[in-house]
Amino acid sequence: MAMKGKNCVAIAADRRFGVQLMTLSTDFQKIFEINPRTYIGLPGLATDVQTLSELFRFKTNLYKLREERDISPKTFSHMVSSTLYEKRFGNYFCEPVIAGIEKDGSPYICSMDLLGCINHAKDFVVSGTASSQMYGTAEGLWEPELEPEELFETIAQAMMSAVDRDASSGWGVIVHVITQDGVMTKTLKARMD
Amino acid sequence: MLDLSFLPSGRGGAVTDLPDDQDDAQTFAMDAAAFSHPSFVLPSVADPVAWMKHQMSDAAENRIKMAKGTTTLAFKFKDGIIVAVDSRATGGTYIASQSVKKIIEINPYLLGTMAGGAADCSYWERELGRRCRVYELRNKERISVAAASKLLSNMVYAYKGMGLSMGTMVVGWDKTGPALFYVDSDGQRLKGDLFSVGSGSTFAYGVLDSGYHCNLSIEEAIDLGRRSIYHATFRDAASGGSVLIYHVRQDGWQVISRTDVTELHYQYAEEPRPSLL
Amino acid sequence: MQMYEEQKSSCPVKVPVECRFSPYTDNGGTTLAIAGDDFCVIAGDTRQSEGYSINSRYAPKVYQLSNGSVLATGGMYADGVTLVKMIEQRLEWYRHAHDKQMSSGALAQMLSTILYHKRMFPYYVWNTLGGLDEDGKGAVYSYDPVGSYEKQKWNCSGSAGHLIQPFLDNQIGFTHQKEKAPLTLERVVQVTKDAFTSATERDIYTGDNLEMFLVTQNGIEKTRVELKKD
Repeated sequence: MAMKGKNCVAIAADRRFGVQLMTLSTDFQKIFEINPRTYIGLPGLATDVQTLSELFRFKTNLYKLREERDISPKTFSHMVSSTLYEKRFGNYFCEPVIAGIEKDGSPYICSMDLLGCINHAKDFVVSGTASSQMYGTAEGLWEPELEPEELFETIAQAMMSAVDRDASSGWGVIVHVITQDGVMTKTLKARMD
Repeated sequence: MLDLSFLPSGRGGAVTDLPDDQDDAQTFAMDAAAFSHPSFVLPSVADPVAWMKHQMSDAAENRIKMAKGTTTLAFKFKDGIIVAVDSRATGGTYIASQSVKKIIEINPYLLGTMAGGAADCSYWERELGRRCRVYELRNKERISVAAASKLLSNMVYAYKGMGLSMGTMVVGWDKTGPALFYVDSDGQRLKGDLFSVGSGSTFAYGVLDSGYHCNLSIEEAIDLGRRSIYHATFRDAASGGSVLIYHVRQDGWQVISRTDVTELHYQYAEEPRPSLL
Repeated sequence: MQMYEEQKSSCPVKVPVECRFSPYTDNGGTTLAIAGDDFCVIAGDTRQSEGYSINSRYAPKVYQLSNGSVLATGGMYADGVTLVKMIEQRLEWYRHAHDKQMSSGALAQMLSTILYHKRMFPYYVWNTLGGLDEDGKGAVYSYDPVGSYEKQKWNCSGSAGHLIQPFLDNQIGFTHQKEKAPLTLERVVQVTKDAFTSATERDIYTGDNLEMFLVTQNGIEKTRVELKKD
């Protein structure tokens, strides 16, 4: 889940890795740093999450070598989109969420379906197994022009309440709030059932 | 007594699907109907069982989902029986409730646990409670756990293959001492010292078996039951909520505790653990 | 009800083709109930839909029963109407037999039994029953289609149930919050309105009007709020 604030964005995910009903790990990384101003969340099939995160690391490193600058969130999301669409007929099982701050300081968020169709939103985007729960909580709690601390509280409350109603999410929540000055990362104490 | 003789065909056309034993008058009269099986409305199709199976399946356009997913356990030890259950109800992966009472108090000496279809368990164990009461009034003594569990097993066996889903433990104390039976909707009925039922049962068994012996003290037994359920809720996504524990003794059952598993998780995390090496 | 139809093809041999008997449709809609210390709020939207089309913008599915309880029915509208008729009849019989109104607790158990007696051919309805108990406290009972029920403090079911329920956990149950504001009738009404306006944004089956029943010791007040009609 990602949310926009006033000159800031937040991205949050749960920490569970499991096979159907069985939980195998509770410190699984789903959110990856692309650069200090761009983060990507990759919910979906664990093998594709890891393959894609490595692939994007490779691609953005090449971009940086060639361009001598960090990739912007918007450019990056189109790179992700193309990468997913390349596998149109044998796709990755992953619906990414991207959050970042643009060069001009404006917040950027988007989500994608598993073939790479980009969805831009002015407020928040959600993806994963608890998506309907997250839509409900985020739609109810989100307000425009939130400051970083308020944005953190909003996304944390929305995420925690949502995963508490989904059996296959939870076991810890991690939140990154990205501002122009840097990133604040917090791991939340959550229900472990 | 309610006189409904003015209605055509006894009770009127629209309500013929009401089972006889629901009528107050007949229940008080205690005739044979009080012990007959309730009747159920059936769809007018050639094969109601296959039809119902389809409605419950993924293929159905408007699927009827039932609350499922559970961890329950019960075991005998020297001071009675410990019954411990989780409290989560799921429909698919959606958590419908975190506060379900999965231990059903059939009467002050009998408990039933709930796994499988929630409605099936609560309905039939309520019906069992009624029959146990009728038995008591007729025979001037309490029903044995063996007989009670057999009543339940026979009731659900009559509907075998019709889609009932329940895995239950009937627990109590009778003339023979503590008794524990496993009854399920296939008609299976087993007597035993230790059972765990539900999607999280394998995880619970792992903890339970490693710590179980007959001479546990009451505190140790309660703790073992609670830990077993907690570990099942941790690994099994369909189990969770809080751990409810009952203790069955000679003078009937007693509620021991109801603890949120989040509390337990952080409490157990504090405890010193032996090193792996 | 036609159960067999003739095969429409050029095949020279006519074989009866079985059509499956499918008596259920989902008419969508969302219902909600919240119990307070001395009140109860039961609400539901009034949209009735079938697939992508809207049948009616005002088809209430929350019913005030004759014993002072309020029943919200989601799922298939026709089954809900039938069920309410059944319940009203049983409530009347109870009054004749016992010369008093059925309590909400007794009604809750009766509804469970009524639903379970159609275990093999269920009512396609997700019920939520709200009212005041014998002590005048708010009570909410929620059901699955075959009669499994539980007494709760708040519940939301139906097409946007998955969206609203975690929001209620947060705003009524105060999960993950340190400060717990007192649950007044005004606050519950406000949260209910917020929940439905939010759900209307994301759920196509919820919208048009919000109908709320506020049950207090003084009686039942029915209010209506407009929701988005897109």
